[in-house]
Amino acid sequence: MSDRIDAYYELMDRQILDHDGRMVGKVDDVELEERDDGRLYVTALLSGPGALGPRFGGALGTIVTSTWSRLSGRTEPARVEWSAVASVETVIRLAVGRTTVALDGFETWMRDRVIAAIPGSKVDPG
Amino acid sequence: MKKLFAVALGILTAVGGFVDIGDLVTNATVGSRFGMSLAWVVVAGVIGIVVFAEMSGRVVAVSGRPTFDIVRERLGPRVGLANLFGSMAVTLLTYTAEIGGVALALELATSVWSYFWIPFTAAAIWIVLWRAKFDLVENTFGLLGLALVVFSVALWHLGPDWGDLWHTASTAAKPAAEPWPSYWYYAIALFGAAMTPYEVFFFSSGGVEEGWSEKSVPVMRSNVFIGFPLGGLLSLSIAGAAAVTLLPAGIEVETLSQVSLPVALALGKVGLAVAILGFFAATFGAACETGLSVGYSIAQYFGWQWGKFVRPRDAARFHAVLLLSTVTAAVVLLTTIDPILVTEFSVVFSAVALPLTYLPILIVANDPAYMGAHKNGWLANTFGSIYLVIVLAASLAAVPLMIWTKLGTT
Repeated sequence: MSDRIDAYYELMDRQILDHDGRMVGKVDDVELEERDDGRLYVTALLSGPGALGPRFGGALGTIVTSTWSRLSGRTEPARVEWSAVASVETVIRLAVGRTTVALDGFETWMRDRVIAAIPGSKVDPG
Repeated sequence: MKKLFAVALGILTAVGGFVDIGDLVTNATVGSRFGMSLAWVVVAGVIGIVVFAEMSGRVVAVSGRPTFDIVRERLGPRVGLANLFGSMAVTLLTYTAEIGGVALALELATSVWSYFWIPFTAAAIWIVLWRAKFDLVENTFGLLGLALVVFSVALWHLGPDWGDLWHTASTAAKPAAEPWPSYWYYAIALFGAAMTPYEVFFFSSGGVEEGWSEKSVPVMRSNVFIGFPLGGLLSLSIAGAAAVTLLPAGIEVETLSQVSLPVALALGKVGLAVAILGFFAATFGAACETGLSVGYSIAQYFGWQWGKFVRPRDAARFHAVLLLSTVTAAVVLLTTIDPILVTEFSVVFSAVALPLTYLPILIVANDPAYMGAHKNGWLANTFGSIYLVIVLAASLAAVPLMIWTKLGTT
């Protein structure tokens, strides 16, 4: 991985995969930090409605952010530490499993409350 | 030998899977009113879908990125979201129309009222989406869909004046009684039916489901370059059979049974049975494709885990979308709305939604960061650019023409 990156083109809106190739989320925003050398460093990828809402902007953005905040009980968007990133290709591959980055509140809720109750939900595909 | 079989199977599946309720209804309607004078639109639509299906197939084989990933990456979250709403509205409308089509096919086969069949049809489709293997679904309904070849056989058996058919097709000679606005309205409907956006959502996501790599490009191309045009011939046969039987008799197509009437006239009961089997397979297969496409697109926009290559519990939100859209489609149909009317709306709004889907594909197919050595050559770019202009024109004209012609009834 090169140490310089065009975050807007190479990171934003890309798919994040975990170390098993499972889909984790999108890069909905990027957390930057200015260090003493005057350059900006990517410190984390932000994902989920908490990061996506502000990018919509306007009334829609406010609705998305506040609904997400109300349902998840969080105020800051979910972060994936930059140190967890293994490689940047047309997708962002993580060095860790999806459970480690805890992005899946809605997925987990849907799985436990709805999908797991339907017969056959645990059957491996062909 | 095994490889040849796989290629042949892929092509046959592409042929049988090409036609859906939109193609069935629109081609028969157009044939019964305009003869073969709109055949050029089917040809243009097939070339267009070939160009963009090949492009999206190549993008997914090389970069692993299906179409809605690309829409989000290249158009950003806001325009991407607008596109998602538009595409989903159209695809859900098409899903509804396909489920209605299956119910109508069952009514033709059993003489039991189609609304009785709707809940069972929706439940059966959902079970297939929930449990069945991806390639099993694609192959089964693709191959059964080949039964629609009965329309070509019927056209042949009717022994039409081929010179006359060719003349109206090649000179686009519109029947004098039909007004120009309706002619252009149906041109856009046919174009929308041939190029519906869900086809590339499904085709590219299917590439991920089946694990395509760069090595898959030649097989993918043979399916697209041979399978889709042969599927287009089925569409033309449906229009042609209607043109030589329904047009002279002054019958306008308003029901699915009228679509099958030319086959019944030419080949009797056996032909009709085969045609109904073809209707059933084509609409059931397309229902699975459109249903999955709704889930694929939403999941790809938000980055959720999707696909039938994982257990349902590992793609919970994706399967929740499939369940919810199936229920929605069934409920909409049970309001006793006419499925044929839903179909007409779905093909016209498909035309409206086309540019936002095809522009990002064209951009990414030219991006070396995604495509490496497989990026678009001059041929794909020439066709892609020309079609983008056509698609934009059709998109802008669709709704004004729909209102002007009152859904083509004037």
